[in-house]
Amino acid sequence: MAKKSPTTAGTKTRVKLSTRDKKTMAALTGLADGVVKAASAKRDPFVDIPSRTLSNVKYSPRKKIIEMGNNKNRRQLFDLSQAKAYMRTMLVASGCKRLLEQGKTTSLRGLYYMLKHTIEGAKENTFDEQGECDTIIEDTEVLLSSIREELHLYAENRGAMVGNITLIDRGDTIDCSRMGSGGYAIPSIVEPEIVELDRKKCKADFILHVEKGTVWQRFNEDRFWEQHNCILTHGAGQPPRGVRRMLNRMHNELKLPIYCVLDNDPWGYYIYSVIKQGSINLAFESQRMAIPEAKYLGLRSVDYTRCDLDDSVKIALNETDKKRAKQIAKYPWFEKKRPWQSEIKKMLSNDFKLEVESLISKDISYVTETYVPERLAAKDWLD
Amino acid sequence: MAKKKKRVKKKSANSSAAAPRKKKKKKKVAVDASPTPRKKKRKKKVRRVAESQSEAPSNGAQANGAPAKRKRRATAQTMAASQRDISVSEFFAKNRHLLGFDNPRKALLTTIKEAVDNSLDACEEAGILPEIWVHIEQTGGDRYKVGIQDNGPGILKKQIPLIFGKLLYGSKFHRLRQSRGQQGIGISAAGMYGVQTTGKPIKIISKVSVRKPAHYYELQIDTKRNQPKIMNGKGDGVDIPPGEKGSKYIEKHGIEWVEEKSGTRVTIELQAKYTRGRGSVDEYLEQTAIANPHVTLHYLDPDGGTRDYPSSTDKLPPEPKEILPHPYGVELGRLASMLEEAKGMTVSQFLTGSFSRVTPSVSRKICEKAKISTRANSTRLGRQDADALYHAIQDTKISNPSTDCICPIGEELILKGLHQVVPGEFYAAATRPPSVYRGNPFQIEVGLAYGGAAPAQNVSKDLLNELLDETDARTCRQFLVNTFNGMGTEAADKILKASKLGTRQSPSKLTPKQRAALLDSMKNVNISEGQSMNVLRLANRVPLQFQHGACAITQSVIGNNWRSYGLTQSRGSLPKGPVSIMVHIASVWVPFTSESKEAVASYPEIQKELRLGLQAVGRKLGMYLRRRLKVRQQTDRREVFLRYLKEVSTAVSEINGAKRDDLYEQLVKVAKKRTADADMVMDDRGRKLDQEMDLGDNVLIVDPAESEHHINRVAAVEGDEEE
Repeated sequence: MAKKSPTTAGTKTRVKLSTRDKKTMAALTGLADGVVKAASAKRDPFVDIPSRTLSNVKYSPRKKIIEMGNNKNRRQLFDLSQAKAYMRTMLVASGCKRLLEQGKTTSLRGLYYMLKHTIEGAKENTFDEQGECDTIIEDTEVLLSSIREELHLYAENRGAMVGNITLIDRGDTIDCSRMGSGGYAIPSIVEPEIVELDRKKCKADFILHVEKGTVWQRFNEDRFWEQHNCILTHGAGQPPRGVRRMLNRMHNELKLPIYCVLDNDPWGYYIYSVIKQGSINLAFESQRMAIPEAKYLGLRSVDYTRCDLDDSVKIALNETDKKRAKQIAKYPWFEKKRPWQSEIKKMLSNDFKLEVESLISKDISYVTETYVPERLAAKDWLD
Repeated sequence: MAKKKKRVKKKSANSSAAAPRKKKKKKKVAVDASPTPRKKKRKKKVRRVAESQSEAPSNGAQANGAPAKRKRRATAQTMAASQRDISVSEFFAKNRHLLGFDNPRKALLTTIKEAVDNSLDACEEAGILPEIWVHIEQTGGDRYKVGIQDNGPGILKKQIPLIFGKLLYGSKFHRLRQSRGQQGIGISAAGMYGVQTTGKPIKIISKVSVRKPAHYYELQIDTKRNQPKIMNGKGDGVDIPPGEKGSKYIEKHGIEWVEEKSGTRVTIELQAKYTRGRGSVDEYLEQTAIANPHVTLHYLDPDGGTRDYPSSTDKLPPEPKEILPHPYGVELGRLASMLEEAKGMTVSQFLTGSFSRVTPSVSRKICEKAKISTRANSTRLGRQDADALYHAIQDTKISNPSTDCICPIGEELILKGLHQVVPGEFYAAATRPPSVYRGNPFQIEVGLAYGGAAPAQNVSKDLLNELLDETDARTCRQFLVNTFNGMGTEAADKILKASKLGTRQSPSKLTPKQRAALLDSMKNVNISEGQSMNVLRLANRVPLQFQHGACAITQSVIGNNWRSYGLTQSRGSLPKGPVSIMVHIASVWVPFTSESKEAVASYPEIQKELRLGLQAVGRKLGMYLRRRLKVRQQTDRREVFLRYLKEVSTAVSEINGAKRDDLYEQLVKVAKKRTADADMVMDDRGRKLDQEMDLGDNVLIVDPAESEHHINRVAAVEGDEEE
């Protein structure tokens, strides 16, 4: 940092800050002022970071989302185990300040490289792996109660979408029904400043979210979205924030119901849970991301018999799966739902899990032509 | 059968004049004998036996010769003929290992040890600050001439031959008083060994005062009679006049004599082997210097190197008092003989007069228990009475003997002595109050030195080469372990691994390159972890160098739990780390396990005192180590903080434009406040350390920064060697 500061100070190419940026900047300055104040009073500088653990989230039955509690972790500079983390927090804050100042955004990895350097007079790097930087960034988000986008950071694009909708991305009009086989890659920042949605330009009736790109390919190839007039999305496994925010915005702004087609395993259940109530790690963003009305369409534990699947498609549950399933069953937002309890119990008694692709064993397009339409028609889903 | 007869005859022949002829004849017969005419020949032999025995003065030979008793191997009479007195000197000449002359290496050490011990005893008894010269000179392949001189009171002319030429002659055996020597065997045995192995006489020169002539003797020992044989001056010794004339004579006769007012010099030439390292003369002298801080030692080794151990105090230890034996320590046999010796005394008089702590009331109690009248004549008491008396003594409560007869070294002097000789950064000492075993008062003292480089790290190239040449170890590993104090096998393996030598390689066959590699790795490999504690054992200020395992001191050190004092220790072995511990037992009668005085016997009372002493210094070491650890941790902490402070202040100033350097300064101040402990030691070591850490008295802490040479022995030792 020390070696870079003169250049940034020199180039005073200050961009005009938006009101949001001004708010973020104020938070950053407040953080720095706290250090100066503590130092001049000869006290230990510290920051209180809201804790991002299961113990500090609570499920709000009224809002039906996960909210962050009030527990905070104090991070002190003069504590042997926290000194480095404290230093990193300050580094990340200063990095974000620079991004804000110059009106640029960078990837998480970009920031990692921006801040990575050898500490003066020691054979130690500020960061050794990107993972170390990423957690500090999340800390900074909750600390400043500014989301990543406000800090001018973005993650790698992941997830795609296709369907009867036209949107504007950074001024470019994008017709999602003309995206070919690849679809529209959902950017990691989909805030209104970047992606504009218009109700009038959306003809779709609902959103179908599938777990993986491969399944999504199947649906896209069969032009499922055309036949059923919907928007088709996938999140490449656990959906990243961009996808979740996009789903949230489309659901709220365009009033589209969401149905999820996920694997029948604890992982699939959890993806559904994250889409519906928000994640534990990013509980502070649930408000902006969670979709309490999302529905779980499949696959279900009963599908093995219901769809008359072959024996060979079963995948045995391992110990972690079983443990995870029991954990999920105990989450407060699943605990009081009978259908979910019996669903999980059924999977455990089956002692196997099913992937969406297993339906291909029946017929290549069984999932698009039979399975999903039947479920939708029967309104057979879990809530 | 035949053979046996032969032996009997031989023995009887010894005493008869006609023996040689007959023996010869018989031998021939026995050799030529063929199996068939056996019977005849046997008869003949029998007759001959009878004949020879009839010549002997014994009667009853006829009966022996009778055919019925043919099977007897020897008779009481024939055996009686060979039964005779054994002189002490003969006994010890044969059993020299009992006195510490098992091998040439040990013989050299024992000789010097006995001479130095005697010198110190004499000087202290006369109230003279001892100054001792030790000179070893190689005269032939395995022959060494050893000269030891002191500045003591000297010896009267007529006593010289007896002291040096007669075994078991001395002043120390019959009294109960703390002294180095105990029996009066040592120096004369050394002389005897010398005479036997080289044939050269023992040379003694002794001077009582400046004006009186010095006496010069050359002695040999008549082992048969345990009597000295004076070789010079026609059997009377030579008197060397004082002054100019005398010094000319001394020069002319090549007698080594450092001019002193009074003193004694003994020179013995003996078969020996000089080595350095563990169990060596060098080590003995070094430890003697530790235990006797009032002694000045001058040492001239066979390679021409000189080393001086100056005294660190000019105060003589107080004179030990002689005490009467305590009744608890007397055995039945001794009691009986004492009773016999006491002429015409009443029992009460006897008891109060010949034992310590027996008051008339105590003696009355004893007599009551033994059912003997207090006025009974002691000489008339029989064995039974003695027995009753003995048991009565054991049953009666008698206060412990007075312990003021023991002169400990003292904590202060232990610290001084250790600091002078053993490198380190922390020293502690503890002197236990006197205690009693079996009626003998004794006192335990413990000194401890911690830190400092291992001796192996301070070896110069030349010294290593010499050591490699001298050693009789078969493997390099053995060489390292045996030569260097405190080097465990682990450490040796580490060194050998680093120097890429095979563990089983012979040390004498190393190439110069390999030697250089060995030296290099010895200096650079960190062996302080692999080092095991170095235990210096002392009894009445005399170092004990052998039989570590059998000694109560070593056993107590091993038995102590050093882990709680911050050292590592595996079960049943010495603790690890750069530690030296010195244990001194002072007593009017140190219970050794053998005559060669190498190991202390483990009486429960002694074990208890040892344990308490070790714990006392151990606690202090523990406090010091914990403190040091804390300081180190604080220093580490501060380093961590300081490392990040610059980053933090840069980042902060970038965000809100605060002045980076001011912020940094302020943060550093806070950091220093937070790690104040580290500061305290960094700034003002000695004073604040003492305030914080109440180690009590008798602790010496050396600032490593100030006295590098103490901790790294290099400069000190090598410097001395070069002088």
